[in-house]
Amino acid sequence: MAALALALAAPAAACTKHASQGRLETLLVCPSCHTTLDESDSEVAREMKAEVKQRIAACQSEKQILDAMVAEFGPTILSTPRTSGFDLLAWVIPLGGALVAAVALALGARVWSRTRVEARAPAPAALGPEDERRVDEALEHFDD
Amino acid sequence: MRFVRVAVVAAVLGLLGLLVWDVAHGSGPGVAQKVDQGRKVPAPKLDLPRLDADGRLSLASLRGKVVVVNFWESYCVPCKQEARRVADTARAWKDKGVVFVGVNAFDTKRAARAYLGRYGVDYANIRDGVGTTFGNWGVTGVPETFFIDRRGRVVPPHITGPASTKELEAGIRLALKS
Repeated sequence: MAALALALAAPAAACTKHASQGRLETLLVCPSCHTTLDESDSEVAREMKAEVKQRIAACQSEKQILDAMVAEFGPTILSTPRTSGFDLLAWVIPLGGALVAAVALALGARVWSRTRVEARAPAPAALGPEDERRVDEALEHFDD
Repeated sequence: MRFVRVAVVAAVLGLLGLLVWDVAHGSGPGVAQKVDQGRKVPAPKLDLPRLDADGRLSLASLRGKVVVVNFWESYCVPCKQEARRVADTARAWKDKGVVFVGVNAFDTKRAARAYLGRYGVDYANIRDGVGTTFGNWGVTGVPETFFIDRRGRVVPPHITGPASTKELEAGIRLALKS
């Protein structure tokens, strides 16, 4: 009896590092309610949690468990897209778009501010001595 | 300046491309809604892995036969209510050019296979893990049943909720006549 218990416990005991049930439940979504497993109490979510538990007990790594779930349900079973292959686009497009927009905005602002400086009327040049004399004369005449 | 213009034009064209793709591939009104209006519409693509066997099953491979497509999941009570009736009807029409195809969604394989065994479902079943085909078919809940004629068109009626044997046979006869 003890030997049997030891034999059954062997795979779990052999694991040097267990995947975390709690973490996996945040990385997987319930296919019918689309919330993460830890937030779902639907029957399919409960079934998935039980399957995750069994896989952890069988010493499977987090990656192995996630791969198995993706193989069973497809990539949308993951709560966040993977950072490889086609799914990488889900990360690159928004971040790349924001970067392109920021660069375009900065360049646009720079070009716009330059155009405004050039378009501004040139400052009037200082009066020459002859013009100053004529202005003084006119002002004297005006005072009279 | 030139770089900015090119970047902006590229971004706009990219977004337009996405819009066109979405319009072209979007689900739009599903087949169910059209069939409920009495229309006959080409069956959307259905090409998924088998749940009850290895390999895949494509609806296109069944052209020339009347096909009854039944969407289900193992936790749904109305699905359980109709399961034996649907399986019995499938067996009764098996040799008359009528093929039943079950489409399972939102289940673990283990639960879905257990359901097939429990209710004696022995017709072909395919698996749509997260219900990606539901949009094109217009399926809003399970169970739902569709009838496809020999020309590959979905024809009325479309049954929502647990199907009775009478409803199933009426649908099959209409599809055979279509």
